[in-house]
Amino acid sequence: MNHRPYVICADDDRDILSLVALRLERSGFDVATANDGEEALALARARRPVVVVLDVMMPRLDGVELVKTLRADADLGDVKIILLSARAQDTDVARGLAVGADAYLVKPFKYTELAEEIERLTR
Amino acid sequence: MTSKRAWSALAAGAAAIVVYYLIPGREQSALYFVIGATSVVGIFVGVRRNTAVEQRLAWYLFTVGLALEVAGDFVGTIVYELGLNREPPVPGIDDVLYLAGYPFLIVAAFMLVQRLRLVRSGVVLDSLIVFLAVGLVQWVYFIDPYNHEGLSHTAERLVSQAYPAMDAFLLVAVGQLLMRYVKNVSFAAFIAGIASLIVADEVFAIANSGYAGLDWIDAFFLGSYVLLAFATLHPSVEEIHANEDDSARLALPRLVLLGGALLTAPCVLLAEKAAGHRTHLSVGIFGVLVALAVLLRIVGVLRDVESAHSAEQRARRESETAQQLLAVQNQRLRELDTLKDEFLSSVSHELRTPLTSIQGYVELLREDEGNPMKRGYLDIIERNSERLLGLVADVLFAARVLEGQLRFEFQPVDVARLVHQAVEEARPRATSAGIELLAHDGTAPEVDGEPARLSQLLDNLVSNAIKFTPNGGRVDVRTSAADGFVRIEVSDTGVGLSAADRDHLFERFFRSQTALERQIQGTGLGLYISRAIVEAHGGRIGVTSVEGEGTTFLVELPVRA
Repeated sequence: MNHRPYVICADDDRDILSLVALRLERSGFDVATANDGEEALALARARRPVVVVLDVMMPRLDGVELVKTLRADADLGDVKIILLSARAQDTDVARGLAVGADAYLVKPFKYTELAEEIERLTR
Repeated sequence: MTSKRAWSALAAGAAAIVVYYLIPGREQSALYFVIGATSVVGIFVGVRRNTAVEQRLAWYLFTVGLALEVAGDFVGTIVYELGLNREPPVPGIDDVLYLAGYPFLIVAAFMLVQRLRLVRSGVVLDSLIVFLAVGLVQWVYFIDPYNHEGLSHTAERLVSQAYPAMDAFLLVAVGQLLMRYVKNVSFAAFIAGIASLIVADEVFAIANSGYAGLDWIDAFFLGSYVLLAFATLHPSVEEIHANEDDSARLALPRLVLLGGALLTAPCVLLAEKAAGHRTHLSVGIFGVLVALAVLLRIVGVLRDVESAHSAEQRARRESETAQQLLAVQNQRLRELDTLKDEFLSSVSHELRTPLTSIQGYVELLREDEGNPMKRGYLDIIERNSERLLGLVADVLFAARVLEGQLRFEFQPVDVARLVHQAVEEARPRATSAGIELLAHDGTAPEVDGEPARLSQLLDNLVSNAIKFTPNGGRVDVRTSAADGFVRIEVSDTGVGLSAADRDHLFERFFRSQTALERQIQGTGLGLYISRAIVEAHGGRIGVTSVEGEGTTFLVELPVRA
């Protein structure tokens, strides 16, 4: 057990997933990756993360559904959630925030934006 | 002729009739003629003043008819009573004049009936029925009795029978006019005048023994003259026209008419039997004829009512079908709309996803790269992927504009603040291009708008100004308010626009000649989108430019109500 903050990243695009994971690891986070919502949920139940970074459009359990599930969970209800999606319309952003995400970043994003959001949420 | 003057004439006529009863015999006879003659003159004047040329024939016939009646009065009263000092003979010249007048009156009355568009198949049958019923009564009570009076001359008998026969025609005309009674002063006076004439005639015929004790009926004869004069003198005579609501209905007046006609023969038979007179065979025949005609008429009316009813039902069914069809089509359109929206979202998503990897890894590489030349190459990739991203956003936005899928959520917006933000965001680009960027912060009232879209609009305009202005130039952004609009002015000292370019500037994918020549990057969508945003806010966008000196874009957005 290390003392670095634990972050779970979920995205069905492996290139983006690797990029985000690499960036976060470089920034000093302990990162676990998932290819879909179900995997991410299993990871979160196994070990409570500080932040989850979720893609919206994923197979099996999508980002929005996962946010709802996490928010309804007794143990994981207050975990910080950042949605990271190529769905860029205002309505998409509004919907993501409405179901309980703490932040919504539109792809493509600058890493500094993601880092700032995590910093803001974990402060 | 004003209606006030017509009423005055009516009052004068009524007063003259009262005076008629107050003065002695000879003067009375003279006044009788004077009232009649004055009325005929009044009718003539009224027709000339109040009726349209093409409708005057009926009224002139009418005038002639009454003039003949008055001429009869002249012979009877002035020539015989005053001149020769004796009662006129029966039949006399006065009877000839009187009877000659009736056909004119009858024809004129029927022309009026026709003008009210009453002569249709059903109405002709109505007329026939009424004529049969009226004729029956006239025959039994007014015409036939003369056959049994043993009058000395055949001529005298025929003349005496002619009056009730003429009245039968007039009664039919009045009946028809009453069937289509239109609210109109002149029309009412006309009907009252004819009715008054008929009453006087009938009473006179019943009495059948000269004027002895019947002075009062003179009031009806004179009243008919005065009323008819009033009818043409009153300006509303011109407004007697057809009531357009001519639907087939079993309306009350028609029921009364048909019922009354049907009952005439039985009533006459009963009355005659009660009076102990012999039963006329003709009454039975009349009765059967009337009953047949009424039956025919009722069948016709019922058929009309039924066909009107079924036409209405058909129309209702058709409208229901059309509505259902419309609902189905609406549903399809909505589905199509959703599908298009979904498609555009997917395209956007699919284009942004690879760009995310490209930009993310380039960013990563660039941070790790120590070689300045390679960093420069990576800068180029980054800049171009940024451009591609902008293009994706613009194309999809333009597609939404085209599909009419731009949806705005308005809220109160402080435009001056947005202008300030847009200018500050553009400042680094202006500085690196060697351009002085100045925001002349003015205060402006709030507008109803969507902040993100208005920011996009302002960014478009400011970025354009920077792109098209050479090093050392200057861009000014001004906000002001006037005439219920917030005005945003973006001026540059750039290359300017030719008149030809100005005309097409806001069109989709249009690139100005200068932009192409100078290889200034762009998609030709920025101003198209800007205009769409401005128009969606109920505003206007325009441009003025002097080639080589600069360009000014002016946006006007309506102030929040």
